[in-house]
Amino acid sequence: MFDLSATLQLIVSGLAMGAIYALVALGFILIYNAVGVVNFAQGDFVMFPSFIAVSFILPSVIVFGSVMHWQLPIIAVYLLVLILMAGFGLLFNRIAYYPLRDRGWLPVVISTIGVSIFLRNLAQIVWGSQPIVFPSPFALQTLSAGGLHLRTQDLLILGVSALLIAFQFVLFERTTLGKQMRATAQDRATAQLLGIRVDRIVAITFIYSVLLGAIAGLLVSPIFTVTKEMGGLISLKAFAASIVGGFGSIPGAIIGGLLIGVVENLGGYYISSDYKDAIAFVILIGVLLLRPSGLFGERVSEKA
Amino acid sequence: MATPILELRGLVKSFGGVKAVSGLDMTVNEGEIHALIGPNGSGKTTTLNVISGLYRANEGSVRFRGDEISQLPPHTIAQRGITRTFQNIRLFARLTVLDNVLIGRHTQLRTNFWMALAPNPITTAEEDASRRRAHELLAFVGLADRAHVRASSLAYGDQRRLEIARALAADPALLLLDEPAAGMNPTETDALVKLLYDVRDRGVTLLLIEHDMNLVMSISDRITVLNFGTHIAEGAAAEVSQNPDVITAYLGGPLDADFAPTR
Amino acid sequence: MNRRATLVALLALACACIPFVLHSQYMLQVTDTALIYAIVVIGLGILLGFAGQMSLAQAAFFGIGAYSSAIASTTLGLSPWISIPFGVLVSVAIGAGVGYPALRLSGHYLALATIGFGIIVQLVFINARGLTNGPDGINSIPPPHLGTLALDTYQTYFYVAYGALLLSIYIAWRVKHSRIGRAFEAIRENEIAAQAMGINVTHYKVLAFVLASGFGGLAGGVIAHMTRFISPDSYSFDQSVIFLVMLVIGGSATITGAVTGAILLTFLPEFLRPLKDSYIMVYGAAVVVMVIFMPEGIVGLVRRLIPTYQTPPAAPMRATSNVADSA
Repeated sequence: MFDLSATLQLIVSGLAMGAIYALVALGFILIYNAVGVVNFAQGDFVMFPSFIAVSFILPSVIVFGSVMHWQLPIIAVYLLVLILMAGFGLLFNRIAYYPLRDRGWLPVVISTIGVSIFLRNLAQIVWGSQPIVFPSPFALQTLSAGGLHLRTQDLLILGVSALLIAFQFVLFERTTLGKQMRATAQDRATAQLLGIRVDRIVAITFIYSVLLGAIAGLLVSPIFTVTKEMGGLISLKAFAASIVGGFGSIPGAIIGGLLIGVVENLGGYYISSDYKDAIAFVILIGVLLLRPSGLFGERVSEKA
Repeated sequence: MATPILELRGLVKSFGGVKAVSGLDMTVNEGEIHALIGPNGSGKTTTLNVISGLYRANEGSVRFRGDEISQLPPHTIAQRGITRTFQNIRLFARLTVLDNVLIGRHTQLRTNFWMALAPNPITTAEEDASRRRAHELLAFVGLADRAHVRASSLAYGDQRRLEIARALAADPALLLLDEPAAGMNPTETDALVKLLYDVRDRGVTLLLIEHDMNLVMSISDRITVLNFGTHIAEGAAAEVSQNPDVITAYLGGPLDADFAPTR
Repeated sequence: MNRRATLVALLALACACIPFVLHSQYMLQVTDTALIYAIVVIGLGILLGFAGQMSLAQAAFFGIGAYSSAIASTTLGLSPWISIPFGVLVSVAIGAGVGYPALRLSGHYLALATIGFGIIVQLVFINARGLTNGPDGINSIPPPHLGTLALDTYQTYFYVAYGALLLSIYIAWRVKHSRIGRAFEAIRENEIAAQAMGINVTHYKVLAFVLASGFGGLAGGVIAHMTRFISPDSYSFDQSVIFLVMLVIGGSATITGAVTGAILLTFLPEFLRPLKDSYIMVYGAAVVVMVIFMPEGIVGLVRRLIPTYQTPPAAPMRATSNVADSA
């Protein structure tokens, strides 16, 4: 039953999907570390930019029921999407988070849920309910090496993700902005006392998070097809990944995502394809029962 | 003859590699007011947390009225008759003053889920009795007029009193108080002293952690002094305050004539 | 208190007349659905509103109740009056089984565990074809009968749903005003202090979870015999989210809030229908607006405007994460 080349291919594509989970999980963690709240709309920040991108890449697209021809060069499209999503991140921060910032986590969670509902249905209104196929220069290609057929898109995902993570490392460790972001995430009050403009940093964190989601969306849409539901399961699995890795830990989110991607791929092939989606959550529940702090999380306890 | 109500023998509690309590022996006698003092970091709150079950001891024994309680969970220890207050006040903030005390009565009531579903004489009787007792306790601590106010809206000193009332609602034999006078001005502290005497007169043994030396010296029957997680002295207030080890622990060195303790 | 009780009784009586006043089949269906959702939300209200424990699995228990009662009615041929309680029993049993391990967690961890559980349950509904008939769902679920009268119209079924809701309100109210309810609230407010006062926190958390699962299961059984067709789509994570939103918008700490939120948010899409396709969008935006401007939900807002109904002044909902007071 064990097929080496199939297994290797599954591992590679699993790593690629896992990298997507990792990027989305990173977005979650950054917002959580900064403001203590889980963003339930994170998955829709994967979905919405995909729709926008598709509208400008395809020669024709149906918008509000009529056919539009807005085709632009791909690089321009990606840039456009990133700029738009950055603006969107700012708006999201200002409208859905800022008025609720002192109210504890539950209201903010509800607010992000409201945003998620809003975005999904906005997407449906604008682009209709038909799934759209996202063309990518690499979408259908495979690279063959020594009997292995690897999807080029998977390799692209891995490459871009690695670059992003390296970029983030440099940002956080070597730049002032990065240090300010980390300081704000660790201890907001002290950061404020040190002169850091906390609200601004939080807004920047939101924008960065949304951009991570956008990039994940741009990378994964060729594999998935673009629908308004695409963000849902991805974000839940990413959330699970961040817990598996240790909630609050950045390396944890990455490892957790990769782990889930690979295990669910292998499990889907060798165990059961019907229950493939359950695998991430079975892992999650196992981790929660055995070691809730995850792989890299800190043991948290309350002082009396 | 003094009967011990609480006995700690060889208690050890570590966190990771750090021994917060390392081999502590302590005896608290029934009916007394017993103070636990020591410099910051000496393990006082940790000891209280172990006694009340919040932390599990790594080694050693805690005997309450002769029974070993060191491995019991906090709620069982409360049921056995030990309740407490907290260094950082832990009230049920959004509930009323009265509800806070009523919750303190939890261990004294028997209604379970099924009994709660239908009106029945046992439940009605015990709820009425509870309410009366709660009002009585509020009057005892001087909060009778604020029974229906939200607990978080009370002044600081009143919140501490509420915590005491709540802890008393469980009819404890031993009451643990973690820095009950913290943040109080002299007037409030005097009122607290009177309250603590009243509590003792009701038959409750008191074990308190305190930094206010005036309060400790005036109110305590016996004192245990901690340093580095173990006791360096235990006995009546007068003899403990003369103990050279105690003085060293607090002041860092033998007394110089020019540097008499200011407290 | 007596004046209040009389008002409530009058209100209950007035509501019982609804099927005689409302003639649109469609509106009756929405009404019946709203009543059933209210049962689910009351259950969530006990768990989250009273005891402060987060769960995003209410839809799973809703589904477990629906499926087990539907299977009992169809495959086993039992009368709905028996299979609906059977559905409750199954929900409660699974709730207890899941609750014990899950409730050792708190805050986001608990939320995630319940999400995971819910997703797994829905996948089982979809894939366990032998039991649940898979994506095709179960149809031909028989309606309950009163003697020879089949309760198969939205008008007659109203009373089934209404009766179940009244029962749920009664149970929730009794719990809230008992030692049990106080213990729940103590746990919500300060878990460590609750323990120190002798409350077996794990026991009570599991009890709250079991109650929530029971209410969810009851609602599921009731809706299955109304729609007489069920499929896995209705029991998704998204549906659990909707129940949560209903509770928070209505006002999480009270039974009135739970019922209000469920009814309002079931009817709201209907009022927005004239907006055609954009109505869900407006719904989403409305949720954001409501949570910003009504911190204690609708009930909290009403209480602030009508001084006689103020119990202790309520502060904005600060659900503390009992894991650590970070951020």
